Amino acid sequence: MFTGIDIGGTNTDIAVINSHINTYKVPNSAGLNTALQKISTAGRLAISTSQPLNEILTGPPVKIRTITIPGPGLVYQGAIKGAVSHRGDVVEPINPEEVRDMMKGKPAQAIAIAGKFSVRNDVLEKQVYNIASEYFSDDQIALSSPLGALNFPARIHTTRFNAQIKNKVARLIHQIQAVHPDFFFVTSTGGLTSPSRALENPMLLYHSSPATVANGAFYLSKNENCLVIDIGGTTTELVPLKNGKPMHETVILGGLKTMVQAVTTTSIPFGGDSCVREDLCPFRAGSPRSFGGGEPTLTDALNVTGARIGDASRSKVIDSKKAHEIVHRYLKQVSMAVKEYQPEILVGTGYLAHYLLSDIAERAQVVGIVPEHAASANAVGAAVSRISLEVHIHVDSERKRLTLNGMTYPYKETSDDEGLLAYTTEIVRDMARAEGAPEEDIEDVQVLLFSSYEVVRGWRVTARITDAILGIAPGISVEAL
Amino acid sequence: MHQQSPSHPERRERLSYTLDQLREEGIFDLPQIRLLSPRPAIRDDVLLVHTREYLQFLEETSITGGTIDADTYVPKDLIRDALLAAGGAITGADAVINQEVKNCFVLARPPGHHAGRSHGAGFCYLNNVAIMVRHLQRRGMRRIFILDWDAHHGNGTEEIFYDDPSVLFCSVHQYPFYPGSGRIEDIGIGDGKGYNVNLPIPAGSSDKEYRFLLEEVILPLAEEYMPDAIAISAGQDNHFTDPLTGLALTARGYAGLMQEMCILADSICYGRIIAVLEGGYSVEGGLPYTNLGLIAAMAGLDISAIREPEIYQETLHSVASADAFPKVIRMVSDLKKILADNWYFIRRYD
Repeated sequence: MFTGIDIGGTNTDIAVINSHINTYKVPNSAGLNTALQKISTAGRLAISTSQPLNEILTGPPVKIRTITIPGPGLVYQGAIKGAVSHRGDVVEPINPEEVRDMMKGKPAQAIAIAGKFSVRNDVLEKQVYNIASEYFSDDQIALSSPLGALNFPARIHTTRFNAQIKNKVARLIHQIQAVHPDFFFVTSTGGLTSPSRALENPMLLYHSSPATVANGAFYLSKNENCLVIDIGGTTTELVPLKNGKPMHETVILGGLKTMVQAVTTTSIPFGGDSCVREDLCPFRAGSPRSFGGGEPTLTDALNVTGARIGDASRSKVIDSKKAHEIVHRYLKQVSMAVKEYQPEILVGTGYLAHYLLSDIAERAQVVGIVPEHAASANAVGAAVSRISLEVHIHVDSERKRLTLNGMTYPYKETSDDEGLLAYTTEIVRDMARAEGAPEEDIEDVQVLLFSSYEVVRGWRVTARITDAILGIAPGISVEAL
Repeated sequence: MHQQSPSHPERRERLSYTLDQLREEGIFDLPQIRLLSPRPAIRDDVLLVHTREYLQFLEETSITGGTIDADTYVPKDLIRDALLAAGGAITGADAVINQEVKNCFVLARPPGHHAGRSHGAGFCYLNNVAIMVRHLQRRGMRRIFILDWDAHHGNGTEEIFYDDPSVLFCSVHQYPFYPGSGRIEDIGIGDGKGYNVNLPIPAGSSDKEYRFLLEEVILPLAEEYMPDAIAISAGQDNHFTDPLTGLALTARGYAGLMQEMCILADSICYGRIIAVLEGGYSVEGGLPYTNLGLIAAMAGLDISAIREPEIYQETLHSVASADAFPKVIRMVSDLKKILADNWYFIRRYD
C-alpha cells in the first residue's frame, strides 16, 4: 500500500493506492493531524510539504547569522579564520575564541556555517558547529558540507535558506513520526528522501509540488511526452514531460543561486482562489464564496457560467456577463502559455481541471485529457515516487580519503577507475537501501560525471584524484507500477 | 587533453586545482565573467608567425610522435592540442575586438613563448601569443604591447618580433636561467631597434622588485608607446612555490600586477588586455591562487584576500632574497642608459 500526501496552498490532498486508487481532500484549516489520522499506518507514506516551506522562504526575513570559513581567495561576509585546501587538507586552523565571540553577538534565530572546500573535508565546519551548539539547538544550525558540490557562494546561500527552514522541517518530522514513524518526503525533483537526509539539506523539499504533479500525471495518464497543466487554488503550473520525466533546473531564490535542482515549470499566478474584483486578480483573498469565503473568485465565476463547484448558490454575486469575461480572460492567458510549448497532448490536473481543460485545449488546439483522480494527481505522484539520490564523490588515493556529499567514507584501494566506480556505486546503493529503497529501483545507478587525473611530485606519480557524481534518478517506483 | 608524458611538469594536473578553485569561488556564476569556448586555430593563423616547413614538421610528427629537445617531446595528436591553445588565444582576442568582453584570460596548454618562427622549445610548440598578436593586427590593430612575465625569457616571441616596431616586447625573467637569452643589451634591430626591452632579474626577486619594475619601466614604457591592446604572456612560474624557478612573487603580488595593468589599459587602450597562460608548475601551492588572483583583478573584484595558505609562509621566507633589490635597481639604471635614445620617458629628467 502506498500513501501520498501533498500539503498545498488551500487543501491537503491524500492518495491511497492499493489494488485501486482512493483520493481525499482535507482543508488545511483542519490541520495536518486531521489528515494524518485519516490514513492507515500500514504501507509506505510519502509527504510533499513544499507549501509551508515556501511560505517561510518568501515570508518576512528571519535573522540568520552566517559564519564563513573562506581561507585564501575572494572576500566573503562573516569570515572567520581557518582554511581547507582543494585536496581536503586543513591548512589553517579555526580560532575557537573568535567563533565564541560571534555567538555572543547580536541575537539570531538560526546559524548558517559554510567553509570553502568543506565538501572535501568537513572537519572545520564540524568544529564551528560544536561551538555553535553550546548556544543554539541542532534545529537552528545548518552546515554546507552535506550539499556535496563545489560552489562556495551557492552553498552559502543554500545553507542560509536551510537554516531558515530547518526548524520547521524538524517540527514536521516530529509531528508526522508521532503518527507514522516511517515516512518519506518528496524532493523538488520528484524523488523521495528519508527525513534524516532532508534535515541535513531541508531545501531538498523546496517546491516539490510541481514534481509530484509531474509524477502523478504520468502515472495516471501514462503519457510519456505531454504538457501537464495543474490548475490549483493559487496558481496554474505548466510542466512539460519528456519520456515520462519533467526537466530540472537550478533554483534561484531571491536572486541567489542555490545548490538545489527543481522541476522546470511555467507558473501563471491565477488559480481557482484568485479573487475577482474589478478584474481577475493574481492573488488569493480567502476561499471561494462557494466554499464559505467572502469575496468572489475564479471558481465562483465558473459557477455563474454553469459549473457546480461547492455551494454554487453563494457564487451569484457576480453578474453573468462579468463572469464570462473573467473566465475568458483566464482561458486566454493560459492557452497562450500552453501554445508556446506546442505540446502533443495536454494533461490536466488539479481540482478545476475537469471544468477548464476542454476549453483550454480547444483554444490551444491540442488534445486534452483529464485522467481519473486528476484532482489529486499531486498526492498520487507523491505516493508512487521512488527514492532518489545525487552523490558527489571525491577520492584522493594519496590522502586515502573518500568523501561522499561532504562526508568521509572508508577508503578502499582499487586497481583502476572501473574498480573505484564499482566500489562507490555499491556505496550509493547501500545509501538508498538504508533509506528503504527496493532493489529494483536502485539497479540503475547513473554516472553523471567521472573524471580523474594523476598527481605528480618529483617526477613520480604519487596519487590519483577522482571526481564523480553518481545518481539514482527520480521517477516512479517499480513497486508502484 | 595535452600531455607530453604522465610525469612531465607541463601536464593535466596543472589546471585541475585551478578549476577546483574557480568553481568553488563561483567565478562562472558572476555576471561580469563570461566563459568562452576556444575554436581551433587554422593553418592560415599559424602561418602568420611560423614557417610552412615547421608547421608541416609538427603535423607529421604528431602522427608518429617524436622529439624537439630534451624538455619537449611531440606526443601523438600534439598538433590538435597546440592548435586549440593558439585558437583559444585568438578566440579571446576576437571577443575583445568584438567588444563582447573588455579583457580576457586564456587558460591554454601547451604554452608558447619559447617557440620561434621555425622551431619549438621548452615545452612550447606554437607561439600562442605571437599568433594572437598577428591576428589582432590582421583585424586592424596597429601597435601591440606584449608584457611577458613568465620566469623564463620569452626568446621565441623576441625572435619573432625582433625587427618589428609595431610590437613592443617587454620580458621580465629570472637571469641567468633557461633559455640563457634575455640580456638588457638586446633591444631589437633595424626598424625594431628600441622595441625589445628585457628586464632580467636575479633569483629571490619578490613582489617589491616586480612593483619597482612596473613603476620604473613597464608603465611609462606602455604609456609612451600607446598600444591598441596589451598582450600578457602570463607565466606563473615566478611564484615562490614553483619547483622549477627561483623567483618569489606571491599570489597577491600577481593580482596587484594585473590590477595595475588593468588600470593602465583603461587609461591607454580602452581596457583591452588579452592574457595567455604560459608556464607555472606549482600546481597546488601556486596556480590555484595566482590564477584566481589574475581573474579577480581582471574582473575588478576585491583582491585583498588573495593569498596562499599560511603553511607556505616559511617557503616564501626561504626563497625571497634581500640581495635582489639592489641588483634590480642597478639593472634598471643600466637599461635606461642603453634605451635613453629610444624612449623619452627615460631622458626627460636628464
